[in-house]
Amino acid sequence: MRVMVIVKADKKSEAGIQPTKETKENFVAMGKFNEELAKAGVILAGEGLHPSSKGKRVKFSGQQRTVIDGPFTEAKELIAGFWLWQVKSMEEAVEWLKRAPFDGTEVEIRQVFEVQDFPAEVVTPEHAARMQALREELKKKAAKP
Amino acid sequence: MRFMMLLPASAKPLEKAVAVPDKELVTAILKFNEEMAKAGVLLAAEGLHATSKGSRIRVSGGKRIVTDGPFAEAKEVIAGFWMIQVKSKEEALEWAKRCPLPENGLIEIRQVFEMTEFPPELQPKAAKA
Repeated sequence: MRVMVIVKADKKSEAGIQPTKETKENFVAMGKFNEELAKAGVILAGEGLHPSSKGKRVKFSGQQRTVIDGPFTEAKELIAGFWLWQVKSMEEAVEWLKRAPFDGTEVEIRQVFEVQDFPAEVVTPEHAARMQALREELKKKAAKP
Repeated sequence: MRFMMLLPASAKPLEKAVAVPDKELVTAILKFNEEMAKAGVLLAAEGLHATSKGSRIRVSGGKRIVTDGPFAEAKEVIAGFWMIQVKSKEEALEWAKRCPLPENGLIEIRQVFEMTEFPPELQPKAAKA
């Protein structure tokens, strides 16, 4: 199964990357952890996001689209970054996450939908095939140097 | 530049929406995804299961406290995301506006850090994902 590991934002992440000694130490520790994940074949993707102050939100109402400038809401509900992991169970994901070099951070693990997770009455075989084809296409694109 | 288009949602309605996905919405999103792929914009698109299947870990002073979902108290949780490759934030915004979201839908656009954006002293080999 694939899981999305969501690293929640805090005051520090919302302030952007500060070139301090602490940031550098965190980078080194996180780099090492990422290498361990890669070696175990767990990591599929991992990205960090710019602070929400640089972001936008679009609210949908009928045909109307309202654009709201960041920063948004309380920092603890926001995302600072994420991983996609391939694991055998939620327990394995929790065990890996316990080893991550965080402090004072809240991290959430959520299972990712696979095509076969959709009920057949929602996703017809034709749609399932299109979803699968799109996945394959994106995978191929990602593999290109 | 890469952007993440996030889908923030309330935890409780999401629980219901994921248990019985809306066929029309799933079909419309699939079409939207195909359009973005055709335009060469789409890098990834994923949906998440409800928070009842999830866990949270809080790290504090070396301790790891695990809490199992659902996270009913959460004002916002993530229902899914897209990763897109575009030329500007405006282009990202244009794509977001075209998303076939239902009434009261919400999309959050956030720029993704590229390695080249990190200060040089933070670009050792350790920083590679």
